[in-house]
Amino acid sequence: MTLLVPLQGLNPVQFLVNGLVFSSVIVLASIGLSLVYSIADFANFAHGDTMTVGAFGALAAAGVLAPAMEGILVFGFPVWMFAALFVGMALAAVVVVATEFVIYRPLDTGSIELLITSIGVALAYRAVIFLGFGTDASRYGVPRAGPIPEIRETLNLAVTPRQVVAVVSAIVLVGALHVLLQYTTLGRKMRATADDPTLARVSGIRTREVIIAMWVIGGVLAAAGGVFLGLETLVRPRMGFDILLIVFAAVILGGIGSVYGAMLGGLVIGMLYELTPLFSMVGIPIGNEYAEAVAFVIMVVILLVRPQGIAGDAT
Amino acid sequence: MSDDTGTGTRTRGRGFVDSLVRSRGERNVLGGVAVVAVGILVLTALGVVRLPFLLSLLSLAGMYVLLTLGLNVQWGYAGLINFSVAAFWGIGAYSAALLSAPNSPLGLGLNPIVGFVAAIVVSAILAVFIGIPTLRLREDYLAIASLGLAEVVRRIILNEEQWTAGSSGISGIPRLLEGLPLTQNATNLAVVVVLIGLVYAFLRRVHRSPWGRVLRTIRSDEDLAKALGKDTYAYKMQAFVLGSIIMAIAGAFYVHVNLYIDPSDLIPLTTFYIWVAVILGGTGSNRGAVLGAATVIAIREGTRFLNDVQAFASLGLNLAPLRLLFVGLLIILVVRLRPEGLLPPRDELIWPGARREEGEE
Repeated sequence: MTLLVPLQGLNPVQFLVNGLVFSSVIVLASIGLSLVYSIADFANFAHGDTMTVGAFGALAAAGVLAPAMEGILVFGFPVWMFAALFVGMALAAVVVVATEFVIYRPLDTGSIELLITSIGVALAYRAVIFLGFGTDASRYGVPRAGPIPEIRETLNLAVTPRQVVAVVSAIVLVGALHVLLQYTTLGRKMRATADDPTLARVSGIRTREVIIAMWVIGGVLAAAGGVFLGLETLVRPRMGFDILLIVFAAVILGGIGSVYGAMLGGLVIGMLYELTPLFSMVGIPIGNEYAEAVAFVIMVVILLVRPQGIAGDAT
Repeated sequence: MSDDTGTGTRTRGRGFVDSLVRSRGERNVLGGVAVVAVGILVLTALGVVRLPFLLSLLSLAGMYVLLTLGLNVQWGYAGLINFSVAAFWGIGAYSAALLSAPNSPLGLGLNPIVGFVAAIVVSAILAVFIGIPTLRLREDYLAIASLGLAEVVRRIILNEEQWTAGSSGISGIPRLLEGLPLTQNATNLAVVVVLIGLVYAFLRRVHRSPWGRVLRTIRSDEDLAKALGKDTYAYKMQAFVLGSIIMAIAGAFYVHVNLYIDPSDLIPLTTFYIWVAVILGGTGSNRGAVLGAATVIAIREGTRFLNDVQAFASLGLNLAPLRLLFVGLLIILVVRLRPEGLLPPRDELIWPGARREEGEE
């Protein structure tokens, strides 16, 4: 699943560039997972498959939109892909909100039962995708563009337009979330509910609405992450589940329940994941087939050394 | 208790039945099981189901029972969420296969007993390794870490070909107890029945012991157990290791029946089948674990026959995703509609003697 772009005269900064792209995916995914952790108080194992739902929603939309909007480019990037991205985000939001109404809300149980239920939800999402799209990997069909020549010549770095789109979109989405959380009434309500749901409810906050908002935000961001992951690699039915462990590692590193911690954790884990090939350059032979194992080892080390994470206080 | 031996036996007999059947609901469940069992026996007698097939199916079901009993120790007794059932099973399977198959990469060809012992030792070490960072923290850390562990174990087995033969798998694994005057299917079934009997008796004993009571306290209120001065970390670790060992034994048994293993057998879906078996059967109940495992094997094997049905095959649906969907929905529905499972533990945990006295006074 490497995002490595082959390059002669290997520039170590290249790994950081690739890492930044992968980090964008992980950051987008880890925010939603962290929100569910802090507001609904459970580990949502269906989050990875929510990313897959978004990615496949965009895939289906791309199939319809691409012929209709052929040839229109924005920043050297086909505009239909942006439209497909929005369709994927909307679909994921609808699916997770429907799941909340049909499955999670009627359950009046503890966080452990919710966790186990979310595994069932994850399997169901994936099964439906398998039924609809088969088990093969697909592509969005965005024309392969080579590295942007200006950057290549000046900095000796291979940066493709789609990488720029992924990173810039992630920054925009994360910035929007920051504004929402800090400067709007909904954001204050969400933070209050995360701090203490009972107190929030007593203060007149409709926590059910907050929970719906949480699902919409988490679903939209997860879908964006899924689409960017699909753009860089392939769109596969298992893509979300395969990446879930790394997303969990990011959330734990950031401190469970802390949204800003999750962003930071996602950045760090995404970088480390892409830097795995560097280990073999300094003499530690870890092949890319063990990139997941590296994420796992990082997670175990975090749990041993600082289980509360960078920013969290929960144990 | 009466002095009269006749009534004494009868009371004891009733006590035994009572120990199996405790309510009307359970009677219905067990009645259904009996009907299905009789049905299968009749079909076999009529020759519709071939006996060797039935025996090998029962051996497979027995392996699932072992796995379910193992997860039941972890989740049912101690409330530990282990999503790497398939990994511990695989560790057991590979330990046994590598040591006992003459043409494995290790090429030792040792007695299967050595393989079983190795399965136990390796799985216990792995369980301790994963337990150390997670068991002091809240429950979901183990869930997350074990999900990762399963993937890492699968990757290592797949990629370290010089040790594990990688994706080509290991064949030539010896059969169990070939000297017995039974068909191999019957021998396998006998072995798994003995294994289940031993594990079941052992678990029944420890679950009712003070150790089991502490675990149940931890499951319902860990702070309370701590306040009573119990080292909850040690208890959880013991339960986790015990459950993992049972899973590894199931894996070791499997390779001696299947005679072949490759990394594709370690798919995560196995883990979720076992989860369905535990929560459907009744979390914390050993009888429920047996019933749950039998139900899951019926689902798994039953859906296989669907492809032979002409009307279904003509729909052109792929069965694997349908099975996945079914398992997912089953998890959701059981938690929602029958969280206590089909055969909840209730007073399975009380010593029979204690209950009888209570009833008479």
